[in-house]
Amino acid sequence: MTATVTPMVSVEGLVKVRSQSESVFELHVPRFTVLPGQMVAVVGESGCGKSTLLDILALVMVPTRVALFRIDPGGGPAWDVAALWEREDEGALARLRRDSFGYVLQTGGLLPFLSVRGNICLPGRLKGAEISAGRLEALSRRLGIEGCLERMPLSLSIGQRQRVAILRALAHRPRLLLADEPTAAVDKTRARTIMEDMRHLAVDEGVAVVVVTHDLDLVMDRADLAYTFETEQIGGQTTRSVCRPLAEASP
Amino acid sequence: MNARSRPLRQIPALAASHLCHEWILTLCLVVALAAVISPLLVLLGLKYGTIQTLRERLVEDPVFREIRPTQTREFVPRWFDEVSAWAGVGFLTPTILPLSSVVQVVAREEGKNELFDLVPTAPGDPLLLENGAPVPAEGEVVITSEAARRCRLEAGGAITVRISRSRGGRSEQVEVALKVIAVLDPRAGALPRVYAPLSFVLDVEAYKEGYGAPARGWAGQTPDPYASFDGAVLLLAKPLFPIARTGLIINTGFGRIAEVSGEKIQELFGFLPPPGFAAYDLTAPGGSVTASNLQAVDQKLRGQEKVLLPYAQGIELMIEGEALPPIGLSLDGEQGTLLRVEPPPWGGNRGNLSKNGVLLQMLWPSAKPPAKEDAVAVSFAGMDGALAFNLHLTGSTSLPRPVVPVELLGVLRTATQRKVFFDKEMERFQMARGGFRGFRLYARSIDDVPPLYGKLKAQGVEVTAEVAAIERIRTLDRGLSRLFWLISLLSLFGGTSVLVSSLYAAVERRRRDLGVLRLLGFARWHVFFFPVAQGLIIAALGLVAGFGGYGVLALAINRAFSSQLAPGEAFCFLPASSIPLFSLATILLAALASLVAAWRATCIDPAEVIREQ
Repeated sequence: MTATVTPMVSVEGLVKVRSQSESVFELHVPRFTVLPGQMVAVVGESGCGKSTLLDILALVMVPTRVALFRIDPGGGPAWDVAALWEREDEGALARLRRDSFGYVLQTGGLLPFLSVRGNICLPGRLKGAEISAGRLEALSRRLGIEGCLERMPLSLSIGQRQRVAILRALAHRPRLLLADEPTAAVDKTRARTIMEDMRHLAVDEGVAVVVVTHDLDLVMDRADLAYTFETEQIGGQTTRSVCRPLAEASP
Repeated sequence: MNARSRPLRQIPALAASHLCHEWILTLCLVVALAAVISPLLVLLGLKYGTIQTLRERLVEDPVFREIRPTQTREFVPRWFDEVSAWAGVGFLTPTILPLSSVVQVVAREEGKNELFDLVPTAPGDPLLLENGAPVPAEGEVVITSEAARRCRLEAGGAITVRISRSRGGRSEQVEVALKVIAVLDPRAGALPRVYAPLSFVLDVEAYKEGYGAPARGWAGQTPDPYASFDGAVLLLAKPLFPIARTGLIINTGFGRIAEVSGEKIQELFGFLPPPGFAAYDLTAPGGSVTASNLQAVDQKLRGQEKVLLPYAQGIELMIEGEALPPIGLSLDGEQGTLLRVEPPPWGGNRGNLSKNGVLLQMLWPSAKPPAKEDAVAVSFAGMDGALAFNLHLTGSTSLPRPVVPVELLGVLRTATQRKVFFDKEMERFQMARGGFRGFRLYARSIDDVPPLYGKLKAQGVEVTAEVAAIERIRTLDRGLSRLFWLISLLSLFGGTSVLVSSLYAAVERRRRDLGVLRLLGFARWHVFFFPVAQGLIIAALGLVAGFGGYGVLALAINRAFSSQLAPGEAFCFLPASSIPLFSLATILLAALASLVAAWRATCIDPAEVIREQ
C-alpha cells in the first residue's frame, strides 16, 4: 500500500442508523478505503452490519451521515457519492453501478427468467458494451461453467449458480466487485475453490474486490486488507457497531 | 446512444422473457383477456353487421331517400337553387302539374294508345341510375317496367308520344318520336311512367297550357305579358244617357264610371278634349283593366263616335338619369281627327302585343330636343328587378311629355305586378316562368332524410318520406350502441381488474428480481416500465387471441344466418376502421392498468429485497 495510489473507494466518518420497532442499530465506519485491484475482506458475525456496509458501498442504501464518500472508478472524474445522495440523483448512482460495479449475492441473485448466458450478458448490455463471445467463452471455461450457458439458473447447482453470478459480476469489466457472502450456501471445500477462482479472476481483470463473509479463515490468507466489527450494547435498545481494520481491532 | 435510456431498451426484452418464463400464468392471463375481448368484438360485429345489413337494404333502394311533396303549390326557381345547396340533398328537379304530365303513348305496331305519366329527370337522378338506367338526353326516354310491359317495348325501341290540348274550342295535338334507352328495374315503381329530360317535360306542360314550343315546331302562343291599366277615359262627342252609362259597368269588368274634368285629361294625356265632348273615367276598383275590358266597352258603344283611352298612372321611365312619366297614347287616324290630336306613327291600340318592335317607340316633345337622335336607353323598375331596353325615337310630338304606345305603358304596369323580362335578342317582353308545381328530391343518404324532411316541413312544404323506416333503424342502432357500451363497461372493469391484479401480483412475486435489476444498474424509473411493458405485451397477445376468437365466432354466425342473407351481406361484421380503434383502446387500458404495478415496482428498495430467498 503506497500513499501515492488514489483509493478507489474512500469512506470517512460514515454512520448508518437503522431502527426496527424499539431497537436501534448504529453502524460507524470511521475510515474505509479500497485501493484499485485490492481485495478487501469485511468479516463479522451476523447482525454486525456487514451487509449494511456492503449495501451502502453498492449505492443502494443511503448513509445517515458521512463525512467523505468518494468513488473513483478510474479513467474519469471521481464521484462524490455523498453529494449524489444529497441531490437524490438516483440516475447517476444507477449509472455508476452499471458502469463500474459488479455484485455477487449470497445466493447468486441470478434472474430466473433469463438463461445463464442472458444473465451474464445483461450487465454488458446495460453498460453499452456487449460482452464478446470469446471473452464469455474464456471466462466460463475458467470458472468451469462453459456447459451451462444455455441452461436456466434454476437447473444449476448452488455452486454453479455462484460461479455464474461471479462471471456476471465480472464479465462487463467493472472496477469494483462487491460480493456478499458468496460462498455461504456451499460446503467449505467448494467455498474455498470458488473464493480462489474469484480472487484469481479479480486479480487478472484488475478489479478491486470487497467481500463480505462471516468466515475469517476463508479470506484471511487471500485478502489484502480485512475489516471487522466491534459490537457493543449502549443502553437497553441501542447496539453500536464500529468497523475497523482487522489489525487495529482488539482481539 | 443515450446512456440514460440504454437500460430502458432492455426492459421490453426482459419483460417478455419474464412472461415466457412464467408462460402458464401468461397464457391464463391472455386467455382471460381474450375471453373478454372476443365476446365484445362479436357484439360490436353483430351491432355493425345487422345495422349495416338493414341500412344497406334501405340505402340500396333510392325510394327510401325520396322526399315527395304531398300538395301542389308553386315553387319559384330560386327555391330550387336554395334547396339544392342544402347539405344532404343528393338530387332535386322541378316537376310539372300532375294533369299536364299525362301523355298518350302510341306503341309502335299496334297503334293502341296508352296514357302514361311523364316525369322529368336530370343528370344524377338516383332513381334511374340506381335502377340500371342512364339519364336520357334530348330525344330519349327511360320507361318503367310497367310501361314497357303495356307497350311491349324493350330498351332500344321507339315510342311516339302524343300531346294534346284544346285551345279555343279546338282540339290540337303534336306527336314526338322518342327513343327508349332503358327500362327501369321493377323496383323503381309499379306505375307506367316515362322519364324524359326536364326541358322536354316543360315544353309539354307549356303546350298543354296553350303555348308553343318554336324549337320543337309546336304552334301556340308565346308567353307575352299582357297590358294592364288603371282605368280608361272614354271621350264621346255626345254625352251618354244615364242608363247607357250604367250599362258600361255591367259585364265589362269595370266597376265605376264617373265624369272627368278636362284638367285630369290634360294631366293624363297632355291635351284637352275638343269642346263639347263628354268625358268619363272608367275604373275597376281593386283590379286591373285589361284588353278584354276595353273590348267589352267598345262593343257596347258600337256605332257611336268615341275614343277609349286606357291609362296607367305612376309609371316612370329612367332616361339618362332622369325619371320621366311618359304619356301612353295609341290613336289611329280617325281617332286623331276626332280628338284633333296628331296620331302617333304606331296607330291605334290593337290590344295585342304581337307587333314586334312596334312597342318600342317614342315620340320626343318638340319643345325639348332629345340628347340622342335615334334611340334612348331606358330603364324601368319592375317587380323582379330593373328592365333595360331601348326605345326608338320615331318622331316628335307637340305634347309636353314623351309619348309611347299605350300598350308599352300597359306592359310596364304589368311588370310592376308580375315577373316580366325583356328578351334583348328578340326585342320583346316576356312573362317569366312563375315557378314549378312540384319537385322530385332525393337525399344523399338515408341519414339525411329526417333532417331534410324536418327542414322542408319547417318551411311549410308538406312532404312525405320513409322517415319511419329510417327512424326504426336509427332507434335500433342507438339501442344496440347503448347495450354495447353497457356490456363494454362491464367487460372493461373485468378485463382491467384481471390485468391490475395479475401485474401487481407479478411485481410482488418478483420483488427480489426487480431489486437485482436495480442492483445491476437499472434506475428506479427504468423499473417502472417493466410492468407497463408486460401489460402491453399481454394486451397485444390478448388482442390477437381475441380477434382470432372473434373471427371463428363471426364465421359461425354468418354461416348460421347465411340463408337470410344476400351475397355480400353479413350479420357479424366489423368495419376496418373499428379494428385499430378497438386495439388502441385496449392497449391504452392495459397501460393504465399496469400503472399500479409500475408504481409498486418503483417503491422496491433493493437493499430490502435482495437477500430474500
